[in-house]
Amino acid sequence: MTRRSLEIGMAAGAAAFLIAVPWLIPALTDHFWVSVITEILIWSLFAASANLLFGYVGLLSFGQALYFGFGMYGVALGIDHFGLSFWPAFGLGITSAMAMALVSGVFAVRLSWHYFAIITVVFSLIFYFLAVSMKPLTGGDDGINFSLPPVFRMGRTVFSLTDPTFQYFFVLVVVSLCFFLMYRLINSPLGKGFLAIRDNDLRASLIGLNVYVLRLIAFVMAGFLAGVSGALFAFFGRYASASYMFYQVSGEAVVWTIVGGAGTMFGPLVGTTLFIVIREIVSSHWEHHSLIVGLLAILAVIFAPKGIVGLWNGWMIRLDERDAATSAPPRLTLQAKP
Amino acid sequence: MRDTVLLLAMNGLIWGLIIALIALGLSVIFGLLDIINIAHGDFFMVGTVLAWFSLSATGNFWIGFIVAPLIGFIIGAIIQRLVIQPIHGVAALSIVATFGLSLILQETVRITFGATPRRILAPIQGTVPLFGVEYEIYRLFAAAVSLAALAAFFLFLQHTKLGIWMRAVRHDRETAVAMGIPAQRVYVLTFGVGFALAAFGGAVAAPITTVDFRGGVDVLPFCFMAVIIGGLGNLPGTVAAAVLLAFLEGMIQSVADPTVARISSLVLMSAVLLLRPQGLFKGLAK
Repeated sequence: MTRRSLEIGMAAGAAAFLIAVPWLIPALTDHFWVSVITEILIWSLFAASANLLFGYVGLLSFGQALYFGFGMYGVALGIDHFGLSFWPAFGLGITSAMAMALVSGVFAVRLSWHYFAIITVVFSLIFYFLAVSMKPLTGGDDGINFSLPPVFRMGRTVFSLTDPTFQYFFVLVVVSLCFFLMYRLINSPLGKGFLAIRDNDLRASLIGLNVYVLRLIAFVMAGFLAGVSGALFAFFGRYASASYMFYQVSGEAVVWTIVGGAGTMFGPLVGTTLFIVIREIVSSHWEHHSLIVGLLAILAVIFAPKGIVGLWNGWMIRLDERDAATSAPPRLTLQAKP
Repeated sequence: MRDTVLLLAMNGLIWGLIIALIALGLSVIFGLLDIINIAHGDFFMVGTVLAWFSLSATGNFWIGFIVAPLIGFIIGAIIQRLVIQPIHGVAALSIVATFGLSLILQETVRITFGATPRRILAPIQGTVPLFGVEYEIYRLFAAAVSLAALAAFFLFLQHTKLGIWMRAVRHDRETAVAMGIPAQRVYVLTFGVGFALAAFGGAVAAPITTVDFRGGVDVLPFCFMAVIIGGLGNLPGTVAAAVLLAFLEGMIQSVADPTVARISSLVLMSAVLLLRPQGLFKGLAK
């Protein structure tokens, strides 16, 4: 089997599985796992925002939770405070996350490497502490609850996220759309510019790319992805809390991305799935599940420094080479001649 | 009013000296191994817990001053060998690995020590009048011990073989290896020393703060601030920045709540990062 057909088969299988989840999972196990998979989809989008910056532009952001939090609070305050309906609140969440990303990005992307990682965490800490101290507005660590407005009406039927199946498909569609947008972005000329900066920012600037502007665009786009995931998570949990803006949340996105495979499209999805599934399985049997999560993170970087998807790609390349070696020996001998 | 300002300023100053010890450990690890150590706050926390265990096992608080850095050194050396060495100083991987370490340390402490925060009674009770306020003797003592430890560390760095090796490897690894310095062993020992400094800070701070498995979470950003504001790799700068930051936070706390104090030092740090990324004291050091 060639690499391409294997990968297409796997992608088709994964897509079929994701579409069948609301019927397949309750038949196989518990309905609870549908909501776990919904959560995985949301968090993998969050991890994708860290991946866009680190894996494709080479900027290690440790503060993506800030934009996640803005997406979350945009939705929660929009509904609870301003009485917005579903879509305007969703829009408010996303735009406030992007606006915040633009404002902090203007400063942050001037720096690189260690300094960038640290200034992003500093910015997110500033707003975390602000959110904690502005308790009347944000509810602090306890957060604010709100009740869900309907998504849309069609005739007399009301579609609302209170229906778990509808909620699942809503999240699936939004997350898939975002991943598709990211895929298109990475394969566009702009995306090639990102890769050039990741590989060598000096060389990129010498061939005429505006490194600062490109980094800023990537930063705002990552803010968009984090904002969408935060808004979705607010809808999913029907609440927003400052605790989701803490640096440890940002750290998890980085860990999921790197363990899954940074700089690959599906690495964040794989990493997030792995960690959340383990958390859900182990935590119901054993209180100290973070011990396993910690151990796994360490083992992953030691034995699969390119992440799980990177490991897979390595195997596939070796498979290709073996195929090429067995199927086309004459070409090889031809090449051997000077 | 004047009394509270003075009290909080003093508290800040002393806390800054303890933080300086911890941040120094972070700075040494950062500078020499190029490791962004997310678990450093937990190294401090392990120190407080070791102090608690040695106190409850022996009934003598002072043994913790020896036990905590010693065990910290050993754990640190083992961690370097098992976890840090295989990732070859790739900073991105170091974040994931130390994140994992942080989870493991916190969870191990939660299993063995328990999830409820505890307090250690200060081994020296009583207060002394100082500038018109009654001040706890133990805090003054903690400041003196921290100062002595800081001085000892700088002497160690300047005058012992290992200290010179550490500086040499940091300065130019290739040449150091060519001159016969066992760089690999220096890395192991450096990580041990970094852990020991944080654990010693933990033992000193244990009677001042609470002993809690999440005790390192708040300390970590503070240490990073000190390292950055002081300038990466500028060890005296790190110490100065730690003291300055904690003192400022103490002063601001006397007029506003602690969160505002924390926010203002974070804003200060952003300004330093953007305007003087080499640290506040660049040019002042030799």
